[in-house]
Amino acid sequence: MAEGVLSPGVNLEAFSQAIAAIQALRSSVTRVFDCLKDGMRNKETLEGREKGFVAAFQESLHSVSRDLGELERLSNLVGKPSENHPLHNSGLLSLDPVQDKTPLYSQLLQAYKWSNKLQYHAGLASGLLNQQSLKRSANQMGVSAKRRPKAQPTTLVLPPQYVDDVINRIDRMFPEMSIQLSRPNGTSAMLLVTLGKVLKVIVVMRSLFIDRTIVKGYNENVYTEDGKVGYCISSNIKFYFYLVTDHATTALLHYQLPQMPDVVVRSFMTWLRSYIKLFQAPCQRCGKFLQDGLPPTWRDFRTLEAFHDTCRQ
Amino acid sequence: MGVTCVAQVPVAEGKSVQQTVELLTRKLELLGAEKQGTFCVDCETYHTAASTISSQGQTGKLMYVMHNSEYPLSCFALFENGPCLIADANFDTLMVKLKGFFQNAKANKIESRGTRYQYCDFLVKVGTVTMGPSARGISVEVEYCPCVIANDCWNLLMEFMQSFMGTHTPGIPSVFGTKHDSIYSPADTMVQYMELFNKIRKQQQVPVAGIR
Repeated sequence: MAEGVLSPGVNLEAFSQAIAAIQALRSSVTRVFDCLKDGMRNKETLEGREKGFVAAFQESLHSVSRDLGELERLSNLVGKPSENHPLHNSGLLSLDPVQDKTPLYSQLLQAYKWSNKLQYHAGLASGLLNQQSLKRSANQMGVSAKRRPKAQPTTLVLPPQYVDDVINRIDRMFPEMSIQLSRPNGTSAMLLVTLGKVLKVIVVMRSLFIDRTIVKGYNENVYTEDGKVGYCISSNIKFYFYLVTDHATTALLHYQLPQMPDVVVRSFMTWLRSYIKLFQAPCQRCGKFLQDGLPPTWRDFRTLEAFHDTCRQ
Repeated sequence: MGVTCVAQVPVAEGKSVQQTVELLTRKLELLGAEKQGTFCVDCETYHTAASTISSQGQTGKLMYVMHNSEYPLSCFALFENGPCLIADANFDTLMVKLKGFFQNAKANKIESRGTRYQYCDFLVKVGTVTMGPSARGISVEVEYCPCVIANDCWNLLMEFMQSFMGTHTPGIPSVFGTKHDSIYSPADTMVQYMELFNKIRKQQQVPVAGIR
């Protein structure tokens, strides 16, 4: 590699000659200034003095221009260092003769290799992770981060009429489930889902996103004193419906698809409908109805089979 | 108010009524049930007065007036196989005024008293059935609070009862059969108590009659 940078032999010769030429130039320039500093020498006649000074000055200027010419000639011989080295100037590190003490160049090459590998693997990983973009957390990732600001306004600000339509359609889909929509507090819809004669679920919506669910017994009161659906009243039948509320919250976190909120609501309702056999379905794993006094409260998200909370793993 | 099953537990061999009740409650406590005070269900029998029978040509029907400590403000009036009336507690004073039509058979007053237990969403009441001064039997009432449809949760109830009643677990109560998909009501519980009390009265009458 060293040969590419500097041609040996002739050029090295030219270098030393050029250095000598620079020294000569410097000494001749010094002589010019010496001459000027000394001024006119003490001669008999004024005329002789002036003549002597001008001659000496002229001679030293000549020698300066001669040395300069010589330096220019030599500098052409030296030539330029080549600039097409792959690592540019850092490639010059390889010229360091004391490799063992300062192995900078080999370390530099290793670092390059690792950084290339890292970039490659990061690319593969981001491709794989983007396939799971149905999850909520996908929004925080690099690629979909650009999409998010676009998707949010369209799904968050839906006209109430559209929400009503979607809910009505779902209501008609499941005959054993009745959905009653009300808007007690502003534009956000509140659904009172009555599932057979088994349970009642209060679903708080934000546009078409399900914000919160509360599960209550069929015979429990769900209205506040002024006749609105109240979502703050907790269930009296503590053990059972507390657990189902817990599972419903898990479900609404599971069914997330920010681009298609109506699909989310539909799949959540489908899951909720599986509770119609709440008291009739034994656990699919242990085959019993009760475990620690509780029936199978968990419903699998995909198969909708019943399990005890402790049997589902 | 959930679905309730009322059953009779026979007295264990070689044990008194009191000892059998203790045996049952100990099993419940071991299961993890919590004691929550006491309960009482009583039943008074009324005969249709003789004057009305003759005028209308009907056979005498028995009417039962019952109270349940779980519903302290109500009074239940039932005919056997007939309708059940749920009234306010002062229905009793009305019955006094109707003396001419219904006569109270004081000797037939029967009641069940005992302890109320809670286990998760189950309410269990184990009571001693007494008629006059003597203990006649043991009643066990199991209620599952979250459910309102009797047939939906019968299997679940049965599994729970098996856990502490063992071989004495009862069969499906007759009121469940007629309910289909309608909502279970407190009156259904009272019908079950009435049937249980009638059964206990008859059981006791047979040996007494044999001695005479």
